Amino acid sequence: MNLWEVFVDSEKELLGDAELELTIRTLNPGIHKFTYKRVRCQVSADTKQHADQLQVRLGRGQLSKNRYSIKVLGEVQRMPAKYL
Amino acid sequence: MAAPRSNREFIEACIKSGDAVRIKQEVDWENEAGAIVRRACELEAAAPFMEKIKDYPGFSYFGAPLSTYRRVAISMGMDPESTLPEIGREYLKRTNGEPIAPVVIDRKDAPCKENILKGADVDLCKLPVPLVHEGDGGRYVGTWHAVVTRHPVRGDVNWGMYRQMMWDSRTMSGAVFPFSDLGKALSSFYLPRGETCPFATAIGLSPLAAMAACAPSPIPEPELTGMLAGEPVRLVKCETSDLEVPADAEIILEGEIFPDYQVEEGPFGEYTGYRTSPRDFRVTFRVNCITYRNIATMTISNMGVPQDEGQLLRSFSLGLELEKLLKSQGIPVTGVYMHPRSTHHMMIVGVKPTYSGVAQQIGQLAFGSKLGPWFHMVMVVDDKIDIFNWDEVYHAFCTRCHPANDIHIYRNSPGTSLNPFASPHERKYSIGSKVVFDCLWPTDWDPVNEVPTLVSFKNVYPQDIQDKVTGNWTAYGYPPVK
Ligand SMILES: Cc1cc2nc3c(=O)[nH]c(=O)nc-3n(C[C@H](O)[C@H](O)[C@H](O)COP(=O)(O)O)c2cc1C
Repeated sequence: MNLWEVFVDSEKELLGDAELELTIRTLNPGIHKFTYKRVRCQVSADTKQHADQLQVRLGRGQLSKNRYSIKVLGEVQRMPAKYL
Repeated sequence: MAAPRSNREFIEACIKSGDAVRIKQEVDWENEAGAIVRRACELEAAAPFMEKIKDYPGFSYFGAPLSTYRRVAISMGMDPESTLPEIGREYLKRTNGEPIAPVVIDRKDAPCKENILKGADVDLCKLPVPLVHEGDGGRYVGTWHAVVTRHPVRGDVNWGMYRQMMWDSRTMSGAVFPFSDLGKALSSFYLPRGETCPFATAIGLSPLAAMAACAPSPIPEPELTGMLAGEPVRLVKCETSDLEVPADAEIILEGEIFPDYQVEEGPFGEYTGYRTSPRDFRVTFRVNCITYRNIATMTISNMGVPQDEGQLLRSFSLGLELEKLLKSQGIPVTGVYMHPRSTHHMMIVGVKPTYSGVAQQIGQLAFGSKLGPWFHMVMVVDDKIDIFNWDEVYHAFCTRCHPANDIHIYRNSPGTSLNPFASPHERKYSIGSKVVFDCLWPTDWDPVNEVPTLVSFKNVYPQDIQDKVTGNWTAYGYPPVK
């Protein structure tokens, strides 16, 4: 089980069945904690739907009391190929 | 006493004078270190030197380096007991002299090259990058540092303190405001040409190099550091670019700024005492090389409510640089002071009011200058008011500033996205508004019959009565006055 965190302006952005593209950060313990990835994923308000868990922060860093589950489908590379 | 040449010499001097404490127990990089620094700032306590960091053996932290005037005095090699006007006069004396050019030393003599990470070894997470405040958008690598760049056409060097958040092991994103030197170089040259901009971030600088990096002075920062220190600053060439960095810095990150790729940055606790600027796509830095000293110390400024160096040091240098500017234009100013608790938003200017409109002239010059985006209130008082004494300034403001005639508002001027009072639209586009509070008696009033007389102990009683009353004060039964 991995623990992830996302910043959104509204939790409505996470609802619905569609596949989402999100910038999430890992909360797994260790020196890489809080580093980001851009991913394709599915998010569910049912914390048992997916193995990985997601917590949410709002516009100015406020932690939402709601928890979600998340399935990371793959990493998205936004950086232009010339820099890779 | 010589000014400390490095962060290490500065820590030693602060410990000796009681202005820093050595924390030997292990401290967590996630929140705990930040919370210690924050509390020290709010209590105006000694700076914490944290020698043991969880997960990061061989590294230490030094927090709140210049958040008290005592430590500012120590950084300049002055007695920590020096008063603010004394420190200010010394800053003006040193920075009005001849620029002192830096010297470039051999890399084998540069402490910052003791450890070098390149290629696949580059990982910012190998450094103890702190989570400064709970709820921040990320761990901040750069909170007390200098981003070193060179102007692509003019060739002059810029050291600027622009916050940098770690996005992943090799990527940082930061708030480089559009009106800053780096912001202008990026928008005028690198972005239109689609070229990457080489940069180096130096962390754990000598306190005077850090002071120069956040001073709004037109003098290039390496020369300004030399002037402040009274001797040349030692630089060394980078591993991966032609840039030169302070050789005694604790940690150096080298890399490139992308012209056409940005990642999210923020939110972050800011000098206004709030998290105001929104999370947004901001200037993005790719790190290609990390060099650092053995037992490197990472410096942390924790911005929030007063007082930290974001307010104290910036108020100090913004006020003094404005004083230089106003004097250079022949305006009869007697002093300029920014109270750190105004979060460097209010300039208090003392002036000999020998002609009408001088308050507006001061305001327009101040707001129209390079310093202007950083404050939005100018309060002008006459030379009889002690600008360092808020009680006197506040009394003048509340009694002399005519609500209909003496408050002058300017709209649509440069501001910052950090202004808590600004609307979301104004924040996004760095739009500001400004106000001048003219607390001078109008020059067309008859000074004898129309200007009110200040009724105070010092102003209305003859000197012999004042001396008698002060001399007898304890005899009257009062405790002594400090
Ligand atoms: C702790 C601290 C953090 C700062 N962070 C930023 C920042 O993120 N972005 C910015 O443009 N200026 C920031 N500043 C202000 C700049 O350092 C300052 O304006 C400096 O003069 C560099 O700007 P310049 O290159 O325009 O001269 C900060 C200052 C301090 C003391």
